[in-house]
This record gives sequence, C-alpha cells and structure tokens, in this order.
Amino acid sequence: VELLLNEQQVLLRDAAAKLGIARGGPRRARQLRDARAGIDADAWNEIVAAGWLSALVAEERGGLGLGAFDLALALEETGRQVVMTPLTEAASAVWALAEAGAAVDQAMQSKLVVPASRPPGQSYTQSDLSEPAVRLDGSTLSGLLSFIPFAEKADAFLVVANEGPATALCLVPRATAGLSVATTHNVDGSTSSKLVFDRATLSADQIIAKGGKAEAIVAKMNELLLLGTAVELLGTAQAALDMTLAYIKLREQFGKPIGSFQALQHRAVNCYVDAELNRSLIFAVLAARDAGTCHPAMVAAAKARASRCALDTVRAALQLHGAIGYTDEHDIGIYYKRAVALAAKYGNEITHVGRFSELTMPAGRAEG
Amino acid sequence: MNWDNTTLFSDDNPADRAFREEVREWVGANCPKDLCHRPLRIDPPELKPWHRKLYERGWIAPHWPKQAGGMGATLTQQIILFEEMSRIGAPTPYPHGLNFIGPLIIDAGTPEQKAKHLPGILTGDITWCQGYSEPGSGSDLVSLTSRAVLDGDTFVLNGHKTWTTNGHFADWMFALLRTDPAAKPRHAGITMLLIDLKSPGVTVRPIQTIRGDSEFAEETFVDVRVPKQNMLGELNGGWAVANKLLGSERFTTGHPRNAAVLLNKARQVAEYSGAIRDPAFLHRLAVLEIDLLAFSAFYRHAANLHGHRKAPLSMAPVIKIAGGELGQKASELLVDAAGPLGASADDITIGNTAVNPAADLFEMRRVTVGSGTVEIQRNIIAKRVLNLPS
Repeated sequence: VELLLNEQQVLLRDAAAKLGIARGGPRRARQLRDARAGIDADAWNEIVAAGWLSALVAEERGGLGLGAFDLALALEETGRQVVMTPLTEAASAVWALAEAGAAVDQAMQSKLVVPASRPPGQSYTQSDLSEPAVRLDGSTLSGLLSFIPFAEKADAFLVVANEGPATALCLVPRATAGLSVATTHNVDGSTSSKLVFDRATLSADQIIAKGGKAEAIVAKMNELLLLGTAVELLGTAQAALDMTLAYIKLREQFGKPIGSFQALQHRAVNCYVDAELNRSLIFAVLAARDAGTCHPAMVAAAKARASRCALDTVRAALQLHGAIGYTDEHDIGIYYKRAVALAAKYGNEITHVGRFSELTMPAGRAEG
Repeated sequence: MNWDNTTLFSDDNPADRAFREEVREWVGANCPKDLCHRPLRIDPPELKPWHRKLYERGWIAPHWPKQAGGMGATLTQQIILFEEMSRIGAPTPYPHGLNFIGPLIIDAGTPEQKAKHLPGILTGDITWCQGYSEPGSGSDLVSLTSRAVLDGDTFVLNGHKTWTTNGHFADWMFALLRTDPAAKPRHAGITMLLIDLKSPGVTVRPIQTIRGDSEFAEETFVDVRVPKQNMLGELNGGWAVANKLLGSERFTTGHPRNAAVLLNKARQVAEYSGAIRDPAFLHRLAVLEIDLLAFSAFYRHAANLHGHRKAPLSMAPVIKIAGGELGQKASELLVDAAGPLGASADDITIGNTAVNPAADLFEMRRVTVGSGTVEIQRNIIAKRVLNLPS
C-alpha cells in the first residue's frame, strides 16, 4: 500500500532510490563482503554530499529539518538495494550531537560518528550482566561496549557511559589513547566491533551531555537506531519478495511457471500480507515518533516485527528459489544474509517481544 | 504512558476528535446496559430498540448518502462510530440490510424499490438476510443452481439456500439465482432478486452453529412466486450487482477492535487463572499484541487511503486475512489463558463480567470462512495483485 507523501518526500525517496540503484545492489554487496570492506565508501560519499546525515536536525540548527518518517523513505530504498552504509547510525549520532548543542556544519558531517550505545533489548540479560557498562570517572572512560556497527570505519564514537547512577554522553575520537577497537565480520559483510576503554582520558568539551539531558538524548537516539534498522529490514524483505515473485513467474517445472501452483502462491501471498502490515506499522510508529505520541513499546514492536517479517520473507524466498537459492552466485542469498544481520542488530525479535511485554504490562502488576 | 490497545493511533483531524467525543458521550448515555458485553450473540429482535435509537439520532447509516437517509460520513467517521460502540461493548446492528443490500438498492434499485425498502432498513423494522451460499456452492459461488424462471411478470423459484445468517429472523432475503443455466461464462446467467420470505412455498429451518446459537438457517423454495419488479439490476446481471459492494461496506466487520477485545479478555482471564505469571503466556500475548498494532496501523492506513480515493485492490483481502487470522489466534490464546476452564461450556464470572472463552473460540472460526474464505482471498491477491500466472 502506498504512503501518502508530499512533494518533498517523493523527491527524497526518488533520490535515494536512484542512488541505491546506481551504487548498490546485490552484486556490489557481494563484492564488498568478499573484500571485507565493511562500508561502501562511494555510496557513503554520495550520501554525505546529499546532506542526509543532518536530516533530523532542525533547520535553524543547520539541518534539513526532516522527521524520522522522511529519513525512513530514504532508508527503505537503500535497504532495498542492500547498500552498505551507516546512514541510520550517522544520522542518529548527528541528531544527538545537535541536541547536545554541537554545531552541525560541514566539518562535523565529513567525519563518520557512530553511536557507541547499547539500545535496550540489544542483548540478553546474561551478557548485559557479564559486560560492565562504560564508566566515566571524572575525565576518564573505562569499560567496554560490544556489537558496535560500522565502528571499524568510524572517525569518532558517541559513547553512552555511566557516571555513577547517571548517564553521560561523550564524543570520543577514534585516535584517543586508551581506546582499542576489535572488529568481527558478519555474514552480510557488515562489521561489529568491541570498543575497549582503558582509562581513556577525555577533555571537558568531549563530554557533551550529562544527567537527565543525556538520558533523554540517549533514549531518543536509541529509538532512532531501532527504527532505522527496522526500516532497512523492511526494504530488504521487500526486495527479496520482489525478486522471488519475478522468479516464480518465469521458472518452469511440470511444464508451467511454478508461480501458478497454489501452494507456492499462498506462500508468496503470506509474505506480501506480512510486508503490507509491517510497512504500515513502521511508518505509523515513525509518524507517531515525529508527532511526539510514540509509546516506547511501539518502537520495540517495530523492531521485533520487522525482524520476524524479514526473516520469514527471506526464508520463503530461498525456498521458492529451490536449489539455486542455496548457491552464493544467486543474489537471493545476499538478501537473506542482510536480513539475518539486521535482525540480530540492536536486539532480535525475541528480545524486543520481551521488552514490549514489559513495557505494556499495566503498572503495579506483579511479575512472575 | 499507559498502554491501551484500543486507541493506538490518535485521530489526526480535530473534527474527527470532536465527533469521537460526541459519539462517546451519546453512546454511553443511550445504549441499554443489558446489551453491552454480552458473551453470546444477540438475535435481531432484541436489537431492534437499540437500532431505532441509532436511527433517531441519525447515526444508523453513516455510509449512506444524505439523500438516501444516511449521514454521508467519511470512512473515518464510520470507523469512529464503530470504535466508540465497541469501546463500551455495545452491539453494532447487523450488516445485511444496512451494509449489504441497502447500498446495492441505493446504487442499482428502481425508485419503487428504494421507496419500498430503504425506510425499513433504516428504522430496523425489517430484517434482511443474504441468500448466496447453497449446499453445492460455497467458495465456488458462481456454480449456484437455485433456479428462477421468468413466467410473464413473475419469477418462479425452486432451490435451496443455506448457512444464511439470521435467515429465520429475516423478513426479506436478497438472493442470487440461476436464470440462465446455459450461460457462458457462468456468472452471466445469474440474477439478483429481493424475496419476501413470507411468500408461499418458502420453508425456513434454523441451523444450530458450532457456537451453540442458532444464527444460521436454510431456506427451501418450492414454486415460490416473486414479482419481476423485485429484480435488482438487469436480468442475468446479478453477479455485477453483487460485486458492486465495495470493500468499505465490509470495513467494520474487519476492524482491529475485534481482536483487541479478545486480547484484553485473555489478559483478564489470565489474571484470574494465574497464567499472567507464565512467561510463555506473556510472550504469546506480546506477539499477538504486536501483530494487532501492525494490523491497526494497516487498517488506519487503508481507511486513510480510502478517504483519498487511493484504496488499493488488495485492501479488503488483506484486512480479511490478517484481521481474521489474528482474531482467531486471539481467541485461541483466550482459551489457553483459562487453563482447564477453557473447556467450560458455562460462562466464567470474573468480578461482575461474564466471559465464555470457548464461545469466542468457536465464534472466531467463522471469520476466516464467511464471505469468502481466506484461501479464496489469497487466490485473489495472487492473481490480481501479485499477477501470478494461472
């Protein structure tokens, strides 16, 4: 179902679609994965030049003054073309920097700043307990943060630290003494890094927000990370479904296109119905977020359902492709792997369903 | 912020918000309390006074044009009316007159047919039923064989209709009948007739449903004479008339509120039974609440597009599939929430409300079958939306 968009929104979406088609696509994603590039530098330079990093920053502060709904239109298109760029992360970080009072200028946007945050629902409680959060003690950062996407190529990190019981938000350049970055690669070619802070010393201006202000910024930044990833999942699943529909219309067995068989048709229809609901859900949550009427449970719902829907869709896509889907030469597997990586990022379906359950429990209910 | 799964996305438009307030206040003050939150179906005769109150308030036919006695309301206003009634558990009037045949008569009826039938539909004095299904024609409706043969100015009917909701309460039936057995394609030999069920030769037998009520009936026609002026649309043009029913007229039957009410009952029963402390139950509840949120978003989105005349072909089948299957899963969770009481034929009394999980479970079996099974809906999407080959 189409979205009702204004002219500016259509332009943004079309520009992102154009960029995605020109720069992205499954073949490109495979090359980057095999080269362990971690990021598509060409596509990223174009995105930076388009100014989308400051999309969420108000115009009077030097941004484009758009909503998360608008940015999502671009993210859906880049997701559809499996473009390997940190738009979700960088736009969330730039928004947070601006909220904390930083000037959003060319210099800021020419550097890749990624959030070093642990969104709620990211991991199971067990690993949260075994992994102490990063602590800010005076001007010194210690501790570690795992599973930070795009950290390998980042110029700086927006680190969410604990300062006693309070929160501090710190802008930490990659070259900071005492910070080490250990990177692993995911199935789709994306990266995940562990940041270890060993008494890394910050200057006063690197601690950009503290206390209630920092908490409010971090909560909203985390929402942006989750929603942006949900949108990328949506685009990825849609592309996998489109590719599959095209395939089953052409592929013949038993003397007929396999897409004429009802069992396969119904499987494809289930993906279509799921995608329609998901798209409505995610854009409704984005609109609620922009309007300031978004319950936190809605964000958990969006990430949970986007993860499930994408995995269900790519699973069906692979099945409907048959044996060729099991080959790395065929592009459908690229979407499968991207969906696996995005579904696991910032918390998967199970953890966000659990979070949704907690957030929707009526106050005062005894929990078991 | 408290979570309320019945008001997930607020009204965009101030006029809609004001209308909602007005409806909420009036429905709360005027709907008889003994009709609200009833665990079992309410038969049409008992609904008549409530129907008339809505008629007198001018809200009985929100989707009808003003000149036909309706409100000329937007789809959003129609949905608001439905939502505010269901908020307090108020029953909504049966759709067969107001939503199905009424709009068809407005669209295709003669001036005489309009004058004769529309007032009774609005006041609720006349109860209608839909005569489509036959023993041999369910999903393959176009194969129907009940005959109507023109004899001068009168059709003579012989045949059999079945699984008719409210058939034994109805005064009138709108029916599809075979008028040309040789027609190719088959749908070109079907005519729609308005049948007075008190006519000689009509036999009506109630059928008990799986839920235990007698919602259904079957009707036998033996040489039943129906005047030709009761034909709606053209001779052999009945299929086209029936297909003019737009998705919007079936919109409220697929409203997400139906599943929301069941999930809230499941929560209530789980607190009573202790299932609320079981993490497995909570997970299943959360998965369905998330699906409800997604379905609510789709539903809102579709209604909004409909208002902009951009409703896609897929809207009605998606609502039918997603809403129907979600409602079923919600009813299954409700039964599981009750534990051993899930098998109870009697109501469970919790505080001052009565719940009957098994009755809801059985009732929800209908939503994936009635007016086109979800399998037929999937066929429609496969062929007409995804353009998959035959």
